[in-house]
Amino acid sequence: MVKRYTSLAYKAADDMIFGKSVYPVKAELGLEVGAGYVTGEVNYAPRPEAGVSKEKLVSEYRRLTTDIMARAVQVGFPGIVLETEHVEQMTNNPDWGGEVAHVQKTIMEEYHEEYGIKTALRHTPGDVRENRDLLALIGDKYDVTMESFEAVAEAGADFLSIETMGGKEILDYAILRNDIPGLVYAIGCLGSIDMTMIWSDIRKIADKTGRIAAGDTDCSQANTAMFIAGGLLDKNLAHTIAIIARAISAPRTLAGYEAGAQGPGKDCGYENTIVKAITGCPISQEGKTSTCAHSDVMGNLVMQCCDLWSNESVEYHGEFGGTSVQCWSESLNYDAAMLNVATETGNAKMLRDILVLSDKYRDPQGYVLAYDNAYKVAESIAKDGDNLYLRAKNAAITCCDILNGAEKLTMSKFELGALADAKAALDAMTDEEDTFMSESMEKYKAEVPVFRPEDNYKF
Amino acid sequence: MDVDPSKILVRYNVAKEKAQTPEEMAAEMYPSAEPANTICAAIFDGEEDDVIEGLEKAIEGGADPVALIDDVLMVGMKIVTDLYDQGVIFLPNVMMSADAMLEGIEFCKEQGGAAPKPKGKVVCHVAEGDVHDIGKSIVAALLRAAGYEVVDLGRDVPVDEVIAAVKKESPMMLTGTALMTTTMYAFKEVNDRLLESGIKIPFQCGGGAVNQDFVTQYELGIYGEEAADAPKMADAILSGKGLAQLKEQFHKH
Repeated sequence: MVKRYTSLAYKAADDMIFGKSVYPVKAELGLEVGAGYVTGEVNYAPRPEAGVSKEKLVSEYRRLTTDIMARAVQVGFPGIVLETEHVEQMTNNPDWGGEVAHVQKTIMEEYHEEYGIKTALRHTPGDVRENRDLLALIGDKYDVTMESFEAVAEAGADFLSIETMGGKEILDYAILRNDIPGLVYAIGCLGSIDMTMIWSDIRKIADKTGRIAAGDTDCSQANTAMFIAGGLLDKNLAHTIAIIARAISAPRTLAGYEAGAQGPGKDCGYENTIVKAITGCPISQEGKTSTCAHSDVMGNLVMQCCDLWSNESVEYHGEFGGTSVQCWSESLNYDAAMLNVATETGNAKMLRDILVLSDKYRDPQGYVLAYDNAYKVAESIAKDGDNLYLRAKNAAITCCDILNGAEKLTMSKFELGALADAKAALDAMTDEEDTFMSESMEKYKAEVPVFRPEDNYKF
Repeated sequence: MDVDPSKILVRYNVAKEKAQTPEEMAAEMYPSAEPANTICAAIFDGEEDDVIEGLEKAIEGGADPVALIDDVLMVGMKIVTDLYDQGVIFLPNVMMSADAMLEGIEFCKEQGGAAPKPKGKVVCHVAEGDVHDIGKSIVAALLRAAGYEVVDLGRDVPVDEVIAAVKKESPMMLTGTALMTTTMYAFKEVNDRLLESGIKIPFQCGGGAVNQDFVTQYELGIYGEEAADAPKMADAILSGKGLAQLKEQFHKH
């Protein structure tokens, strides 16, 4: 039985800042995260043709790791984190992922020994727990995923992460129908149940191998909502709905920490400021320097409380300024240097607030994720921290309340209409977890053919 | 510390918002005659029960169930997709309207024992090794909403299966979506295998990591930047456009 968070790690929102966390973590090659400075975390994807064999993939990662480390010392980075998000072959064949981790860590050790650069390696196995048509969260695929974690941990990966899929079969249905109770069920309930299971086991592997169970993200759901929502003029999803999904994702990501994760949380978890307020654990974030991977509408704001600063992902290829991983790792490092100067000169809070205010009124999503409002969402989650359903519902309601009380944020009629409908749907929801769970089970079993709860969730 | 946001950003979605509400704009587009007016409104609202109720009344009043599909249901859905194309309503509205319309079509088919001929057939799939299928689901829904028959092969579809389906179904277009750089590589193989078989149909490719530069590397590839491009591309094919013209129209970068 995991212990749920029912209080916050920070006494006030203003105490939250980039580069510092209540509970820093330390990797073996000298790098600490959340211990007073921000470090760039570079992320990459192999070229399409590299996936055809183990040898080609390993070679691709050898090249790009060497490129990154070479640029790091050329430009004087004090530290650098590398994140390898697996392509499916690397997780489904645990020895592939293990070999890549070993090759990467060996190169990083060589640079550490020669130059003293602080460095750490994050490996993120893919969530391969799916069959052709259905999720398969429990069973053989789960075992393969755990074998992959063991392989990369034993080969040297310092931080263990994953982007889990629990609840996505309902989210994909609900998000296209503005179904707010469906979002609560998918993300807040099903997702958290799966997170509790998988992170308990990842922590065991981390403890056994001397590695760090880092953290998860609701990429598969809240980021799906954010990407569908798109830019200001896109009409695929109201941004007010996207931020409600994001608020609900915070208690889901929190469940990973409750089951043993220690940070740094995953970069694409835009919910991480809310989560950091509760756990005090370090987080990675991405924004203005991840435009190579996707657009968002809060690129500066999400720097506000980051401990690692990431580019999300870039395909490995040549650019005018070197290879893509060199260009983006250099940009990340300059960002980190700016943040660290602010810290060293006593201007961190001023810079934090400048970053926040440059985006806070750009969009409902940034408005709610601004650290002062994120803290309010965190309080509402912890208030009913022991109840997975209520804390998810609380997060959604608080998100709506924050938006309804916003003064300088202008919203379109569409956004306000969607917000009003969402709030009405939330107000109509029961306070009884058992009632909600049983009614939702019945509803979605009837409406979503791929929903197989008995096979996937340990209720 | 706070700031006047008007000095640093513009919420163009608010600035460019139309004075009329979507409901008001839709109401002006409904056919004036009943039962079409009521049924079109029910489709716009995504109210499946109201669609069926309207159809029942129409059939009781002597309307031909099969004719209702083209004359009423498709008309109502076109209002929805037109408003979506104009940026007036959001995708979830389209999805809910499509659900209601498709339920209405099934009802009419049951009542009439026949179905009108679809505008054309499209095969949709997610690349082998890739299970991210929400984009494909949107593409399929928008195509169906536009009157096309969709053969949905699902996700993580082996190349052999894609080729077999194209040979069996003889579609006017194939779509492929992928989220990851390594899985989208399968599109090239699909392209090569189709050409080996002498099949030269447009192969619309899109999704997360897919970009125009990649898609232009193979002959049949047409880049679909938005899911909403799928019915537009199918319409362009129906209007007689070939591969070169489709690339000219849809390769925007």
